[in-house]
Amino acid sequence: MSAPIIDLKDITVTFKNKTSTVHAVKNVSLQVAKGDVYGIVGYSGAGKSTLVRTINYLQVPTSGTATVNGQVMGQLSKNALRLARRKIGMIFQHFNLMNSRTIAANIDYPLRYSDLNTAQRQKKVADLLTLVGLQDKADAYPAQLSGGQKQRVGIARALANDPGILLCDEATSALDPKTTQEILGLLKHLNQTLGITIVLITHEMAAVKAVCQHVAVMEQGEIIERGSLLDIFSQPQQPLTKDFINTAAQLDVALAEVRKQPAVVNLADNARLLHLTYVGASTDAPLIASLYQQYGVTANILYGSVEFLQDTPVGNLIVILSGDPAQFPEAFADLRGQGVTVTELDPKGTVVA
Amino acid sequence: MSFINKMLPNVSLIWPDVWQATLETLYMTIVSAIIAGILGLALGVWLVVTDQNGITPHPVTYNILDKLVNIFRSIPFVILLTVIYPLTKAIVGTSIGNTAALVPLVVGTIPFYARQVQTALVQVDPGVIEAAQAMGASNVDIIFRVYLREGLPDLIRVSVLTLISLIGLTAMAGAVGAGGLGNLAVSIGYQRYQSDVTIVAMLIILVMVFLVQGIGDWLTRRTTHV
Repeated sequence: MSAPIIDLKDITVTFKNKTSTVHAVKNVSLQVAKGDVYGIVGYSGAGKSTLVRTINYLQVPTSGTATVNGQVMGQLSKNALRLARRKIGMIFQHFNLMNSRTIAANIDYPLRYSDLNTAQRQKKVADLLTLVGLQDKADAYPAQLSGGQKQRVGIARALANDPGILLCDEATSALDPKTTQEILGLLKHLNQTLGITIVLITHEMAAVKAVCQHVAVMEQGEIIERGSLLDIFSQPQQPLTKDFINTAAQLDVALAEVRKQPAVVNLADNARLLHLTYVGASTDAPLIASLYQQYGVTANILYGSVEFLQDTPVGNLIVILSGDPAQFPEAFADLRGQGVTVTELDPKGTVVA
Repeated sequence: MSFINKMLPNVSLIWPDVWQATLETLYMTIVSAIIAGILGLALGVWLVVTDQNGITPHPVTYNILDKLVNIFRSIPFVILLTVIYPLTKAIVGTSIGNTAALVPLVVGTIPFYARQVQTALVQVDPGVIEAAQAMGASNVDIIFRVYLREGLPDLIRVSVLTLISLIGLTAMAGAVGAGGLGNLAVSIGYQRYQSDVTIVAMLIILVMVFLVQGIGDWLTRRTTHV
């Protein structure tokens, strides 16, 4: 594998004021490969925005090195740093457009640092507007646009200097669900057509699910779990990760409903409430049928969903299995052997997984 | 005309003086507005960028500037006029007359305007500043192309405020030796009991203030796109 386009090593960011010291980011290392879409998830205050700002050195790390596009950011002169930043696009939660300028002028702003002449700049602006689908808004002002349109302008502006990297700081958090999907779709399209590497920061797992290839989960300044989207979604290890995933899959809502049902409330002694998760190929195998045939265990499906992550199906089932309790361990082992994650749920509990 | 002359018995005898005083007030206002405007704007920007949330935080510089502005803003203008008279004499060569009045007017207006500029510019969305930094903009770029541009409607608003207060100051300067409408109102209108002169001087100043306010409002509307 070639060198990662973003390589953060042992990044620590500490904020000090008179009364307290805040460790926003603690010793985080992160590599992002060229062309990847990397999601960083966490609740607000987890340090993800601070971490992503060390990539373009808007935030100078207290210690650690950031190597981006092969350049060690901390070693660059002020001038070289400005040049380096032009190859790292960034979009923001609140779009951060200049209200005093038209849409075209907003997109043109970063081009003043390019070598293009006026005619070339005009063409570039027109091309970018077309790319984000806002050809007819060139002379409008930001205040006249909807949130989704503003973010499109933000994206066009971020792409003006043909960056290899696009940093998205909660870029969809201020948008409604439909617009969020549109913007995520646009980001995915840009990744596929331009090959641009995207780092996406969000507190919504649904956004990550829609576009990311890799995910890191942050809590209290540290990355507590990371991996490919499929691995994280099918086999989350940390409680926080599970929490995010269940919220995204609305499993928490489903489970709350399931727990109210008579079959669960009066769960028989020879029955177990289970959460089954499976990925890809196992989806096709007749799991439930073979359970009955081999172990005499019947399954009552209370909730089920299948989602496609990067074109791979990921299934979630909440079931009650009943039969001879002596057969359960073997039946569960068999399921696990087929790649199904089996979690026994407390029928009365409030914990999701 | 005869009606006006009847209503304004004293003014009608000294129209040329009224005209002259008006020009003097305009001269003092415009020249000191230009000088104090440039210096006050620079000082205001300096305060904004050296602020701890600014683009080049520098606590020592900020604190010194901040204290200086506070001190000079606290000095009543009438006292300032007399206190800085040696400076006036050193710069202009004399301490009386319109040109001499420019020195205290400028000195009195700079800190006022600087503070107004500062309050206007700190309201520029920090996110927009950050976006410009992320695009590789230099600090000079950010000052001229982001702060002053994005803050323009507010800058116009505070400039109008400053200009109006400056017109007021010229009247006060007039009372202590400079010319202008303030001098006319005090030395003729008040001291010779020719109250119609005072009223005319006041009306002319009101017209100036309304004009400044009107033009300012129009410019603010033109530059606001929210």
